[in-house]
Amino acid sequence: MRIGTLKESYVADAALFDSRTQHAWLAIAAALLLLFPFAASDYWLYMACLVAINVASSTGLNILTGYTGLVSLGQAAFMGLGAYTVAILQTRLGTPFLLNLLAGGVVAMLGGIVVGIPSLRVKGLYLAIATIAASFIAHFLFANFQITGGTAGISMPPARLLGMDLDTSFRLYWLIVPVTLLMLLGAANLFRTRIGRAFIAIRDRDISAEVLGIPLLRYKLLSFGLSSFYAGIAGGLWAYFFRVVTPESFPLSMSIFFLAAIIVGGMGSILGGILGAVFMTMVPELLKLIVDLLPGGAALAVFLSPVRLIVFGALIIGFLVFEPLGLAEIWRRVRRFFHLWPFRN
Amino acid sequence: MQRISQKRRRLMLGAAATGAAALAHPLSVLAQGAEEIVIGGSIPMTGVFAFAGVGINAGIQDYVKIVNDAGGIKGRKVRYVPEDTGYKVDVSVAAFKKITSQNKVNLYYGDSTGFSKTINPELERNGNILMAGASFASELNDPKKYPNQFLVGPDYTEMFGILLRHIAKEKPGAKVAFVYSDSEFGRDPIEKSEAEAKRLGLSVPIKIMTPAGSVDVSTEVIKLRRAAPDYTIFHGYILAPIPEFITQGKQQGMKSKWMGTFWTMDSSTVMKMGEAGDGFMGVMPYRYYYDTEKAPMLEKIRAMRPEYQSTAYMQGFLAAMLFLESARRCLDANKPLTGANLKAALNSIKDFDTGGLIGVPLTITGNSIPVGRVYKADMKAQKMVAASDWIKL
Repeated sequence: MRIGTLKESYVADAALFDSRTQHAWLAIAAALLLLFPFAASDYWLYMACLVAINVASSTGLNILTGYTGLVSLGQAAFMGLGAYTVAILQTRLGTPFLLNLLAGGVVAMLGGIVVGIPSLRVKGLYLAIATIAASFIAHFLFANFQITGGTAGISMPPARLLGMDLDTSFRLYWLIVPVTLLMLLGAANLFRTRIGRAFIAIRDRDISAEVLGIPLLRYKLLSFGLSSFYAGIAGGLWAYFFRVVTPESFPLSMSIFFLAAIIVGGMGSILGGILGAVFMTMVPELLKLIVDLLPGGAALAVFLSPVRLIVFGALIIGFLVFEPLGLAEIWRRVRRFFHLWPFRN
Repeated sequence: MQRISQKRRRLMLGAAATGAAALAHPLSVLAQGAEEIVIGGSIPMTGVFAFAGVGINAGIQDYVKIVNDAGGIKGRKVRYVPEDTGYKVDVSVAAFKKITSQNKVNLYYGDSTGFSKTINPELERNGNILMAGASFASELNDPKKYPNQFLVGPDYTEMFGILLRHIAKEKPGAKVAFVYSDSEFGRDPIEKSEAEAKRLGLSVPIKIMTPAGSVDVSTEVIKLRRAAPDYTIFHGYILAPIPEFITQGKQQGMKSKWMGTFWTMDSSTVMKMGEAGDGFMGVMPYRYYYDTEKAPMLEKIRAMRPEYQSTAYMQGFLAAMLFLESARRCLDANKPLTGANLKAALNSIKDFDTGGLIGVPLTITGNSIPVGRVYKADMKAQKMVAASDWIKL
């Protein structure tokens, strides 16, 4: 419990951000996000957009796996559904990109609801295997349908806003980051509502949840639907970002990537999804930068590259061993330390 | 006061303009003389394609070293900036962005078809880069759609074309089966090659598509045996399940000759097939490291690296050679190193001697180099030996 944050009303108690310090930090973060594109090089802007897309998708998976307790390995397939929907609408109908993104989310949501049906019978690893099937089915559909362009996929024009092509990382930043922030805000607020709390109840004990009056059918499918909606939007952003969508763009390993992101970041925590996605996307790149800084690093790249991968793997294992609750818990511990600092002793 | 300041400004502007005009020429030459030529590279040093990436990296490095030791290109040194991609498109694009934002890149080596397609709009916008890569996808062999890229050899359809020409000459009217993986890589040449086979008077009694990564192929082998082809061409694989097909096919009494395309054809890959691989044939656009025919450039490579170098090495080496030949031609014509100029310079290459890396003089008119030769595995000698002359499409 934090000192000096007395709550005098239920509204204050339920507020998403409850202290002035938090508001100040949020303002600083917002200012940094606004200024970042003007200061960063094309590479860092590209990485920022990629991180934002991954954050959106892992937040979606966190709703399903972290909050509702349903393990899914189909996240990449749902992203693929979103990406293909966007690509098809953009190339065939030329509809506005925001509409395409929404449609991508909705199509992925419908896919998610269908794939979620087995979750009523099976849980845990069994469900994970059932969702893997979604990956294979999606891959088959993408590779064999005429409308998806077969194995060559679809190359699409950039999104257009007010006559301007969103074709550089700088321009796309202003689409991808706000959409991701909006999705994060939505997810954070979800768990202040009956729906979100029902998800948590299902995760903690589904039979008890049903006894409490939570219809499992509706809420499990809702969780699948919401999670895939997030994946669909993330996939749509991905499509506008890379502008080439092929069946090989969304492999099973991508689903494992997102699952790893929320486990490393912290399941059942919005911050965990963010930190996990940032960790999984940025750490390999940062390790590369470190290798580049080593004397003769570039010349030894062939030998150092596998070492880099080993270090990355060791880091993941290390975090899991020393902090099973993920990066979000480390973050909370650091925050707690500073709550009293420097008056602790 | 105001008038004076305006006058002064005009005077200063005039002086500056005169000075600039007088200095511009020598200055620009100086700047050019000092400027490096940069080859960037998205190289898969880890991941599923690392076996090739390591060779490609060494090949580019070695050619750049040869050029720099000889004084560079018109006095300009060449710098090679590689970055590992793990053979993932998003990481590969990140590498491209990083390398291009830290260096003034003129030439770039990409690691996959996915990357070549994804980066194409960026290449066009950038306008200053000529790119080649590890992909031989037929889709990229289109100068209109991919104006700033080229393939360092024949595309996959052309590889099939070379094999089919060889077959048509060796056994007119032969039956040829296609076995390929269910992937973009695997499906690439199949449709067009079937038409080409018919045009050459060959027949294609069966086409078998296997799921990517499949190893149990017994049912497919039975289908293949029933079709009784004289030749079977594998495509879209590196190694597995080719040895499984050949072993089971031979056990079932098949008399087919077995063939593969570039990425299967490295000597070390074919030798891994063991006994099954004896007599395995395939298309190769470059000479093997140990070829004994006269090739001064191969001798240079063997002097630099006494141990065997893969065909991926040759591919990287030739990519660097063509990159820098294009740059040399641009500089000779006093043209700035832009993507369009570099590509035009590449397309001006006529009867070019690669020092024996390819056995015939090169002429590059479009996005690919449709030249190759059929090699055959000799398991006793543990070598690939030439089974045809160089075939130009």
